[in-house]
Amino acid sequence: MNDKKASDVRRTYGKNQKEHRIYSSVDNSQDYIITTRGLTKRYKNFTSVNKVSINVKKGSIYGLLGPNGAGKSTTMKMLLGLTEPTSGKFEIDGLRMPSDRIEILEEIGSFIESPSYYPNLTGRENLDIIRRILNLKERDVDEALKIVGLTEFADRLVKKYSLGMKQRLGLAGALIGKPPILILDEPTNGLDPAGIHEIRNLIKQLPKIYDCTILISSHLLSEIELLADDIGILNHGRLLYEGTIDALKEEAKMQGLETDNLEDIFLTIVTEDNYARMKRAAL
Amino acid sequence: MISLELAKEKRTGIIQILLITGLIGALYVLLNYKVRGDALLNMPISPMDALLTQLYGMIMILNVFALIVATCITFNMEYSGLAIKKMYILPTCLWKMYLSKFLIIIGGFLIAVIIQNAALLWIGYTKLEGGMFQMGMLMKYSIYTYITSLPVISFMLLISSAIDKIWVTLGTGVAGFLSAMALSQTQSPVIQLHPFLLMFKPAMGSTAEINVYTIIVSLIETGLYFAIGAILLERKNLE
Repeated sequence: MNDKKASDVRRTYGKNQKEHRIYSSVDNSQDYIITTRGLTKRYKNFTSVNKVSINVKKGSIYGLLGPNGAGKSTTMKMLLGLTEPTSGKFEIDGLRMPSDRIEILEEIGSFIESPSYYPNLTGRENLDIIRRILNLKERDVDEALKIVGLTEFADRLVKKYSLGMKQRLGLAGALIGKPPILILDEPTNGLDPAGIHEIRNLIKQLPKIYDCTILISSHLLSEIELLADDIGILNHGRLLYEGTIDALKEEAKMQGLETDNLEDIFLTIVTEDNYARMKRAAL
Repeated sequence: MISLELAKEKRTGIIQILLITGLIGALYVLLNYKVRGDALLNMPISPMDALLTQLYGMIMILNVFALIVATCITFNMEYSGLAIKKMYILPTCLWKMYLSKFLIIIGGFLIAVIIQNAALLWIGYTKLEGGMFQMGMLMKYSIYTYITSLPVISFMLLISSAIDKIWVTLGTGVAGFLSAMALSQTQSPVIQLHPFLLMFKPAMGSTAEINVYTIIVSLIETGLYFAIGAILLERKNLE
């Protein structure tokens, strides 16, 4: 899965703060399950997502990386139909929003920003609501609870759950029924170190166990580095890089950067972009 | 979809509030008749008119507050844990969810109205002598009061779904009730469209006459608020 021939490897950062784009050799044989083209979300005087084009390979883990406010959540929200793109388009398994909304959502398990739950219901009852909407079997609820380690607390009211338990319940709600696509927005937020480790290992195994594709976001490079096959780096709504982590390291090496620490590469890319933005604004 | 909504509403007390309102309303009718039954029957109006109109005022106040609370809770449970966000990213139609919530409230309220009117029926059969009790009149009046209550349900459900802060929804309900009280004597045709005022109508007369115009306006408003609420929910921006 860590295929160096990942298509559309693209970057828009470079030497001397000049913007330029490099496209790698495109491997047309790749089977993309999510593709976006020029996806843009503009608010009154603020562009949250700016012409973002990403390609997520089937069966891979794609990490969307960026500082807070980079547009990761908005991109995911557009993919789920929670917000309408201002311009651009996207396809999920050959389907399009809004015409194929129900079909798309049948294929996706998602967890966006913070857990969503009915506080008046228990963990099991919350998952049962999702199960009934998705027409799944009753045993899927138990399986999802087991996967996230909530079996013991399944019959406790969710309003009495800790933040970490709510986070696990949100993940269970995304995983229930083994959907072919998972969209997870900062899924380890609020978890303790042991929980982060556990959930991270679980996410890493999911494509092998369930044959699913995962689009995951985080502002922690260390987390994405351990999980993702491909990454997309967003800053101020713009996609600065897309490709494998190895390709990114290669690129950094060519530019004379230290490649041991991926966090430094990430920070350099983002800082250069911020500097270029400031220069553009000054002009 | 209705069974799914009922499962979601577990422990919220929505159905219980409506049923208890029905029971309190029935209890009020029975106690009121016991305390001032003679005074009611000696009023210069027909015993049936007295039975129906003189007791409905208090029942209506009970009902309106029960409906305000029930509609507030109906969507507050979706907003308080952001469960609504999950509903938007599941393969389900939001308008069907809205319809189910509406049907549950009007269904629960129907049971409350039946309980309240059962008390009137008992008084009518046991206390009104000489064939003074008219079952048909009780039925018609019950249906009339039920239909004139529907705009409040529909309006409050619209507010509850559109605003995620329960206190704003509750405040809107209370303001609706108080403004209807203040405007109850106004003859302006526009003010007559006030959804809470429509619910007040049967309580304002001293005869149990059915006003067809009020029924038509009530049904139109119910449909209108329902449609607006369902469309707004489908298009709601959850960012």
